[in-house]
Amino acid sequence: MSAPSWDDFADLALKRLAASGAEYGDIRIVHSTTQTIRGEDRRIASIRDNDDVGFGVRVLYHGAWGFAASSILSLEEVPRVTDLAVEIARGSASVAIDKVRLAAEPVHRDRITTAVRIDPLTVPLGQKADLLLATMESLQAQSGVVRSTAELWARRDRKLFASTEGARLEFDLIASSGDCTATALHDGQFASRSFNTPQLRRGYELIEEADFLGQAPRVAREAVEKVHAPAVDAGAYDLVLDPEHLSLTIHESCGHPSELDRALGYEANYAGTSFLTTDNLGTFRYGSSHVNLVADNTEPETLAATGYDDDGVACQKWNIVREGLFVGYCTNREVAPKIGEARSRGSNRADSWGAVPIVRIANIGLEPGRATVDQLIAEVKRGIYIEGHGSYSIDQRRYNFQFGGDAFWLIENGRRTHMLRDVIYHGITPEFWNSCDGVADRSHRRRYGFITCGKGQPGQSGWMTHAASHARFRNIQVIRGEGRS
Amino acid sequence: MTGISAKPWPKMTSREEFQFLAELVMKCSTADHKLVTLHDQDGGTTRFANNQVIQNVSSRRGVVTVTVAFGARQGTATTTDFTAGSLRETVKRAEAIARVSPEDPEYLPPVGAQAFAACPTSRSETLKAGPTVRLEYANEAIGQCRMENMSAAGIVSSSRASVGVAAGTGLLAFEERTEARFSITVQSGDVTGWASAAHRSIDRLKVQERTLSAIHKATLGAEPQELPPGRYRVILEPAAVAGLWSWIIWMLDAKSYLKGTSPFAGKLKKRILDKRLSLENCPGHADLLGVGFTAEGLPSTASQWIHQGVLQQLAYDRFTARAQQITPVPTIEAPRLSIEGSSAGSLAQLIKSTDRAILVTNFWYLRTVNPTDLTLTGMTRDGTFLVEKGEIVSAVKNFRFHESPLRAFQYVESCTAPREAVTSETGKMLVPAMVLPEFHFSSVTRF
Repeated sequence: MSAPSWDDFADLALKRLAASGAEYGDIRIVHSTTQTIRGEDRRIASIRDNDDVGFGVRVLYHGAWGFAASSILSLEEVPRVTDLAVEIARGSASVAIDKVRLAAEPVHRDRITTAVRIDPLTVPLGQKADLLLATMESLQAQSGVVRSTAELWARRDRKLFASTEGARLEFDLIASSGDCTATALHDGQFASRSFNTPQLRRGYELIEEADFLGQAPRVAREAVEKVHAPAVDAGAYDLVLDPEHLSLTIHESCGHPSELDRALGYEANYAGTSFLTTDNLGTFRYGSSHVNLVADNTEPETLAATGYDDDGVACQKWNIVREGLFVGYCTNREVAPKIGEARSRGSNRADSWGAVPIVRIANIGLEPGRATVDQLIAEVKRGIYIEGHGSYSIDQRRYNFQFGGDAFWLIENGRRTHMLRDVIYHGITPEFWNSCDGVADRSHRRRYGFITCGKGQPGQSGWMTHAASHARFRNIQVIRGEGRS
Repeated sequence: MTGISAKPWPKMTSREEFQFLAELVMKCSTADHKLVTLHDQDGGTTRFANNQVIQNVSSRRGVVTVTVAFGARQGTATTTDFTAGSLRETVKRAEAIARVSPEDPEYLPPVGAQAFAACPTSRSETLKAGPTVRLEYANEAIGQCRMENMSAAGIVSSSRASVGVAAGTGLLAFEERTEARFSITVQSGDVTGWASAAHRSIDRLKVQERTLSAIHKATLGAEPQELPPGRYRVILEPAAVAGLWSWIIWMLDAKSYLKGTSPFAGKLKKRILDKRLSLENCPGHADLLGVGFTAEGLPSTASQWIHQGVLQQLAYDRFTARAQQITPVPTIEAPRLSIEGSSAGSLAQLIKSTDRAILVTNFWYLRTVNPTDLTLTGMTRDGTFLVEKGEIVSAVKNFRFHESPLRAFQYVESCTAPREAVTSETGKMLVPAMVLPEFHFSSVTRF
């Protein structure tokens, strides 16, 4: 007798769910393969290949949820776990008052595959290790650099989603990324400079195009320049932010507050709530007229463009902020009806078979404007140009934020001059976005992804991509990143 | 309420079964060195918000990790499939990696057989707890908040795990671990109060007591006034102290120290904090979440890290320890922070003896701003108050801070005895509530 297929397991679970009296149920079977090669200080510190297989069954019974999951994929375990999910849902239903009602979605049957030129998991490990060793060697060849790291990461997710409504979706998804960092030491101070590829649904061609060996000397030089640079003087500056830096600003100050589950209080005990409460939808002035933030889970190669989410809802494109006005949330089938929306936006995702899907930030990006970067800088008398990610922190309603960066240059009289260090800026989200008076054009647009967005209890990692062109913000408070500023 | 009576989970991996799995790996690998680790966990979480259960989940995940080495070339592969065929395939993957890996100059073979002290890592009441018990506790918390016309959000979770490390050197470590957690945020309009607990025993979560504490905070938090940013005397509750001390602990890495990229560089055996402060690792403490052994199979040991304000110990990986010719002490997984001398009997007494200060329940979203001097930022959260003449006189809007714990804890004005503390950003610790004479709040948020 041949071994049971994933379809056999799914049919087994769905048959039991249909007989249980539950109004809805689904099963996700997932096989994730993750390869990580990590280099540190001119050595390969670890090469790791993780293979993770399991399934999760979600049940909606009399308006209440139950979920059970297991890494034992067998003909005995699937019915046992399915029954447990039903019983847990019955327990939840026994205390439920406000019953869950799912937004309708057409039944989809489809297969989604990431198109890659070079499968990152088939590239010889020796080739990858040699690249990282050569990168670290180049970084530490720079006088003043005392430490280096370099890493390559690749993941393949094969997934089957099947629901009692008849949806059956197969996925074969790939994502890749790489990064390196140089740390320079001078006079008891140390500073780091990094280079990251975006995390995207692309193959090893992403790493080849990134040209680590070409980037490494610049990264090392800038690490040394940064540690020697003068600390910033606190005060008000105009800021010109690069797309990589903006990806984090967008993520924290627009992405999270636009998650409807947060606005409804689901995350009150952990990730927090949102200043974008539902009474603000369509009326709140989030930013200036230059600010157009669009969620697009259909853009190829982006992390959240998976065809369908873990509710089986097709990926979509919609506005979050239109000409400064807050107009849309990220939703799933559970929360969309609570604001009167007939259909989910398709932003419900789990980070593994063992986790229940929750609302996650979509691929939210800042729409391009009309300026060039040179024009944005030319109109600044006293400002700072910031690249990359650094320190970041924001309150649980997403009002008060504070960001650093990876590299900073002083702008004086319309010209980018020398590097600075210890630059930290802070503000209140809507005041900050209302100070935006220019966005660079589409030729400057870049995409950066996140795979470690923390949310939920138990904690899960969300994946999404944020695209942006450079943007300018006026009169932002900057402080020095040391204790006595 | 409906009792949940599904058949019990397949039993957890036993010591004998782990030994069998490990021996299978050893037999089918031709590598010079083999290390096998097991983490087999069964647990669940009941999550609630707006006085409703919003998630009720249960998950069983078993992972076997195989690390092999040919000389100093190593590779690691993991699997969630414990069948013999899968384990053999996992060994092959690890060996294939090791064969093409460059030699690691810092590689060391697995440690040999070790003696492990018994550690109280498992409690029978948590082993038995399942979805029904979790739901009962969640309902208890929700019910109390409903009675006060407040809204509860939080979790009750419990888990059990079989954890093992074995190597061809004769190393065999195995233990069963249990853990239970409760945390609650109580909302009253725009105001929140919070409490949290973690323990090996689900019976020690004190759900009712902690829910009442969170309700009390929310009650006190009404109509917060806005104070200007600046330097204030602060009363830090244990959770707030734990948030700052977690960063001190995370930065005690010996390799960074030796490379000069640590905030402690050059300060070993020197006074770095108030001369009455001491930090120790207490893996056997019943109220902490200590473990019997590390991921590499080294015994967890009671150790002094800071003594009377002097930095005594760094976290050494095995290679760095060998290079320095010392015994590796890799982690502090069960930290206890104490302060010599007399202490207040309670937080209430600390408040009563303070003329003017900001009382901080908890910090949130702590991040480094400057790793050289360990300047951190973060927000106050879920209960920030103005204390005047020994009393809480009002709630205040939440502050952002910009401060290094290495400066802030130079002098502690007064404190309580160490208390249990755990937050969403820290492991569990035993730390006192403390009064610090000056703490820098750099900005204010809108609530």
